[in-house]
Amino acid sequence: MKADIKYWNPALETLPFEEMRKLQLKKFRRIFRWAYDRSKFHRSLYDKAGIKPEDISTYQDIQRIPMTEKSMMRDIQRKDPFPYGDALCVPLEEVTEFRQTSGTTGQPVYQPDTWQDWEWWAECWSYILWAQGYRPQDRVFIPFGYNVFVAFWAGHYGAEKIGCEVVPGGVLDTKARILKIQELRATAMMGTPTYILNMADTAIHKMNLSPDKLTIRKITCAGEPGASVPATKKRLQESWGAKVYDHAGATEIGAWSYECEAQPGGMHVNEAFFLVEIVDAETGEIIEEPGKKGKMIITALDRQAQPCIRFDSKDLIEWDKTACPCGRTFRLIKGGVLGRVDDITKVKGVLLSPTAIEEVVRSIKGLSDEFEVIVDKIDDNELIKLRVELMPDAKKDRSLVENMLVDELRLKTNLRYDLEFHDFGTLPRYEVKAKRFKDLRKKN
Amino acid sequence: MHNIDDLKDINGKIRLMQEIAGELAERAEDIPALQRNIVRIKASLKMLELNISDVLD
Repeated sequence: MKADIKYWNPALETLPFEEMRKLQLKKFRRIFRWAYDRSKFHRSLYDKAGIKPEDISTYQDIQRIPMTEKSMMRDIQRKDPFPYGDALCVPLEEVTEFRQTSGTTGQPVYQPDTWQDWEWWAECWSYILWAQGYRPQDRVFIPFGYNVFVAFWAGHYGAEKIGCEVVPGGVLDTKARILKIQELRATAMMGTPTYILNMADTAIHKMNLSPDKLTIRKITCAGEPGASVPATKKRLQESWGAKVYDHAGATEIGAWSYECEAQPGGMHVNEAFFLVEIVDAETGEIIEEPGKKGKMIITALDRQAQPCIRFDSKDLIEWDKTACPCGRTFRLIKGGVLGRVDDITKVKGVLLSPTAIEEVVRSIKGLSDEFEVIVDKIDDNELIKLRVELMPDAKKDRSLVENMLVDELRLKTNLRYDLEFHDFGTLPRYEVKAKRFKDLRKKN
Repeated sequence: MHNIDDLKDINGKIRLMQEIAGELAERAEDIPALQRNIVRIKASLKMLELNISDVLD
């Protein structure tokens, strides 16, 4: 294979917008017909709305189709055919993969896939990894506790598919994983931003080893928005001496978005495999123009066992007006996934985004990577407690760090916080997705 | 970069392979080794369809 091939598939990655729309419409009609004919859940949903497959003839017709969401899947699952319920579109014996969502927002949802679906997962990841510079000569280390969550299983199979040598870092602890990277001179790895930072922390403070002296030069992050948060990305890149790329995906959707080597300040949507619509969260209107945030409604155009059709992901995104210098015509979402509609909450009448707090904390040098935000209501007063860790070498500068933190928080979030400074290493550490935001108002 | 004629030619061969895989699948009922490997081959051919054929057909 030629070494300098830029695209995984130029036929799709450089397809002009109008042709992409035609392709998306064709594929949408195909998956809609598939689900309507095979799943009681989908047929009933669309019959109630008075929409049949033959009613979809234009791109605008798609917008009339009812959305689906996670709570619907929770309702139908664990019923017949057990354990998936009647959104299943294939006979049970054709299901070869079981995965489930992480349960961050409630009861986990089960996700069946056929072998073809699994091949499709790997294909979607191949687009991601090729665009991020992975090539067959890479040795990819995956520091992931292989289990019921899909995330890096699919990354593993995608890396294999493009020809990389893949090292599964499964049950090893963090120190052993770092030593294995050193021993095998791995060139790339994948993980949540939280865990990749945690690994760097362990290497520096518990092993007296500098991660940037290891051989990792590419890191693909997923599971949390961190790799698109500039301050977090900077910490990740500086600690590992590697380029850090973001990727967004979800168990019930697929691997739908990725940053490319050009790192244009946003992520490409794989529009050949996914149809992404942005909807104004207040009015429900479709947002076509760049620069306006809304929640993402997404369709996986080729996933068959349990289709994902106009799924309300609750992710906040906006189209970028600029084209990417990499030449891909897959549109960009500016700044990646900006947050979740669920996470953005009003405190004292002001919208609070945990991502904005992350950006502030990680932009201040005397603070560690970890923090916790606790929102509470005592009597009629809403309070936000922010717990941070002071780095050991910043103890003498505590008041300076505190002043910077107060100023930046006020500037970036328009809110006042009760600050708690903790010793380095005392806040919880996470291996997969972090749980740093707690809202106790309803509980109390 | 391939031109449209090249892609059409590639597509023709993909369709031919799918046809052959389909024929083999029909004869695989009593041979699990054939049946299960054909399932995998058909899944790979489907990926070729998504990558190439869908843009052309």
